[in-house]
Amino acid sequence: MINLEPTHLESADTNLLDLANLTDEQTAFSIESLDLYYGEKQALKNVSMRIPKGQVTAFIGPSGCGKSTLLRCLNRMNDLIDNCNITGEIKLEQSNIFDRNVDVATLRRKVGMVFQRPNPFPKSIYENVVYGLRLQGIKDRRRLDQAVEESLRGAALWDEVKDRLHDNALGLSGGQQQRLVIARAIAIEPEVLLLDEPTSALDPISTLVIEELITELKKKFTVVIVTHNMQQAARVSDNTAFMYMGELIEYSDTNTLFTTPSKKQTEDYITGRYG
Amino acid sequence: MDNLNLKRHISGQFNTELENIRNHVLLMGGLVEKQLSDAISAISTLDAGLAEQVIKNDRKVNSFEVSIDEECTRIIAKRQPAAGDLRLIFAISKTVTDLERIGDNAKMLASVALEKNASKQGKLLVSLENLGRQCVTMLHNVLDCFARMDVDAAFEVHSADKLIDSQYESLMRELMTYMMEDPRAIPSIMEVMWAARALERVGDRAQNIAEYVIYFIKGKDIRHLDDDEIAQLRE
Repeated sequence: MINLEPTHLESADTNLLDLANLTDEQTAFSIESLDLYYGEKQALKNVSMRIPKGQVTAFIGPSGCGKSTLLRCLNRMNDLIDNCNITGEIKLEQSNIFDRNVDVATLRRKVGMVFQRPNPFPKSIYENVVYGLRLQGIKDRRRLDQAVEESLRGAALWDEVKDRLHDNALGLSGGQQQRLVIARAIAIEPEVLLLDEPTSALDPISTLVIEELITELKKKFTVVIVTHNMQQAARVSDNTAFMYMGELIEYSDTNTLFTTPSKKQTEDYITGRYG
Repeated sequence: MDNLNLKRHISGQFNTELENIRNHVLLMGGLVEKQLSDAISAISTLDAGLAEQVIKNDRKVNSFEVSIDEECTRIIAKRQPAAGDLRLIFAISKTVTDLERIGDNAKMLASVALEKNASKQGKLLVSLENLGRQCVTMLHNVLDCFARMDVDAAFEVHSADKLIDSQYESLMRELMTYMMEDPRAIPSIMEVMWAARALERVGDRAQNIAEYVIYFIKGKDIRHLDDDEIAQLRE
């Protein structure tokens, strides 16, 4: 018998959240009226948003719109810049990351980051992955071996490198290096993974491999990604934030943002009417 | 909101492609409108030559549909349109399907004009022509909405289908009375009935096109909604 009752096609919408009213349990980062100045120049203007847990959130926008700056705030990478002033607050799991008693190293262990260009250390593949664990003082060989295999599998690299774990990491291709860097980031089991244009230096196939990886990663981590490639944001993210001139213009689920954006500026940007 | 900001893409080629495809839809719409209008004239004047012309021209309509759909596919593959551009491509692809079906209806009307039986029903053909002219007007208006991407006009056209439906129903009642009065005339009245049915469908298809225009502009799908819900969306 054929079932003629209409079935609702809602599979794509199952992880849809109401971004304006996320509960604390659903929230990874809660950003409140964040302003950021580089000297005189204001790079972020009154940004408030909640980034949901266990999902991929993408920041898009033209160059200089503040999306990388915002991403770097999330693990206080901007601390390294001298004349950078920040007001407002960012809460990770309900505690303000700018509090005096927050240890930045601990924060960065919870919030891992991967950059645009793959930056493996000039060491073996194995040593690259366990670097963070060794810093934490873990010496147990079996535990390190296990972490290497798990992280490399998690970064979809294991099958390609399992026979040459002690070769120099710089001998890997660009796409493999980037996955190695992701493996290094997830080896210390962070809560959040920040990806700053992780595929902009890679070829199209490696890009697709990383994108596929991102959808796997979100099962275990919250992922926040900055990308120049709008189609990439459309493909990998659950939620997309469009920024322009330091302001958060529109923030909604990716399906809505790419089919029926509510702001004219968003529409113009994603259809390629200005850059 | 500026709905026709096609000129402002950074990629000039993309602009040209979108403009071309819109122009092609309008050309196709013009052809279909002429086909329908000719078919109705052919019926009311029983002009066999004109009817044959309509039947012959249907091939042009068909090839328009195929080539416009090809253009849509090409744009999706090459340009990855998003938001308004994506909705435009979808609206166009669906519009040409409906236009092609209207073309088929025109062809069907033309073949009724060629039927010997139909010629016996002079009086009924006048009622049929009235219904037909309304359909042509509705089609004309909806193409106008499409050309100007005018959402208010599209809502107007959308509700105009009700008039055509009610006129179709009263024509049906008229036809049934005739059939009961004179059963021998049933074969020829049936011809008129098919033609009326075809015209009623034209109204539905024109209404569909109005829905696509609304979808493109407002990003809201009003298909299968009742009047109250549509009135709400219109605000």
